[in-house]
Amino acid sequence: MFSFTGLWAKMNRKNDRPGTVQGAFDAIPIFLGYYTTSIAFGLLAINSGLSSFQAVLFSMTNLTGAAQFLAINLISAGSAMGEIVTSVAMLNMRYFMMSASLAKKLGLHSIFSKILVPAAVTDEVFSVISFREGKTGTDYIFGLQSVSWLGWVTGTITGVTAGNLLPKTLQQAVAIALFALFVALLVPEVKRSTLALVLALSSGALNSFLHYVFHIPPGWSIVISMTATAGIGGFFIHRMIPVKAGRRQE
Amino acid sequence: MNEITLIIIICAFANYALRATPFWIKSRDMEGTYTSKVLELMPITALGALILPGIFTTYPDAPMAGIAGLAAAAIVAWFRGGLILPVTASIAAAWMALNF
Repeated sequence: MFSFTGLWAKMNRKNDRPGTVQGAFDAIPIFLGYYTTSIAFGLLAINSGLSSFQAVLFSMTNLTGAAQFLAINLISAGSAMGEIVTSVAMLNMRYFMMSASLAKKLGLHSIFSKILVPAAVTDEVFSVISFREGKTGTDYIFGLQSVSWLGWVTGTITGVTAGNLLPKTLQQAVAIALFALFVALLVPEVKRSTLALVLALSSGALNSFLHYVFHIPPGWSIVISMTATAGIGGFFIHRMIPVKAGRRQE
Repeated sequence: MNEITLIIIICAFANYALRATPFWIKSRDMEGTYTSKVLELMPITALGALILPGIFTTYPDAPMAGIAGLAAAAIVAWFRGGLILPVTASIAAAWMALNF
C-alpha cells in the first residue's frame, strides 16, 4: 500500500545511486524559488514590452534568472542588440566556470548527456550537485534540472497571464524581487568573508559613478564594473593572500 | 522576425555555448592562475554592480521603497538564509513603503 511517510523517508535517505525521482525531490526548494521569482519576471517582461509568447520563450530557452531581468530592463530602455547580448553573456560568464567544475566532477561520456546536462546549469542546480555527497549520475541530474526548469517556466506563464491581476502598488513592489535575489545571494558570501563585501561595494560604487557621472548605458557599465573590480581584486589577492572568496571553493 | 524574439534566440545560443563548452574541451589546469582568481571573484563583483545603483533607479519617486526592500532582504538572508524568504520579505517591505 502507498505510504507517504514511507516515501518521504525513502526520499530523504541518501542512497548510493540517486535516481530521477530523488533528483526531482531535491529540486522542490529550487522549484518554489524559481516559481515565485519568475512570476515577477513574467510580469516585468510584459511591462517592458515583450509579448506573452516572447516572455515564455525567453524562460524556456534561457533559464537564467538575473540575466533575463537585465535583458528586459535593457530592452525597455531601448538598448542595442549587441549591448544586450554582450551584457547577458558577461553576466553569465560564471556558468562557464560552473560547467567547467561540473564537467570535471561528473566526467560524462555519453554524447546525449553532454548535450543535455549543460542546457540547465544554473547557480542553484550547480550548488545542489556540487554539495551532494557521493556519486551523482545523470538520472539524478535530469530529475533535478527538469523540475527546476518547470518551476521557472510555469512561474513565467503565471506571471504573464495572471500577473496584471495584482494591484498596481504590488506590481511595483514586485520589481524589488530581482534586487532581493541578488542580496540574498550576496549575504552568505559576506558572512563568509569581509572581502566579498569590499568587492561588491567597490563594484557597485564604480557602477554608480559610471552611471551618474558618465551616463554610460547600464549594460556596459555593469560589464566594465564587474570585470574591472574583479581584475583589480584578483591582482591583489593573487599577489598577496591566498584567500578563497568564491563560493565554488568549498 | 521581431527584433526582441531574435535577441531572445541569440541570448539562448550564447548561454548554451557558455554552459556547454567546458563539457567538450579538455580543461587546461587553471588552478592558482590569475585568470582563475578573476573569474572566481566575478560573481561577487557582478552582484555589487547589479544592486548599485539599480536599487535607487527602480523607484525614482520613492527611493525609500528600494532601501526598505534592500534592508529587508539583507536582514532575512543574514538570519534565515535561503532565497524564497528574503525575496518575499523584500517585496512586502517595498510594498509597505510604497503604500504608507
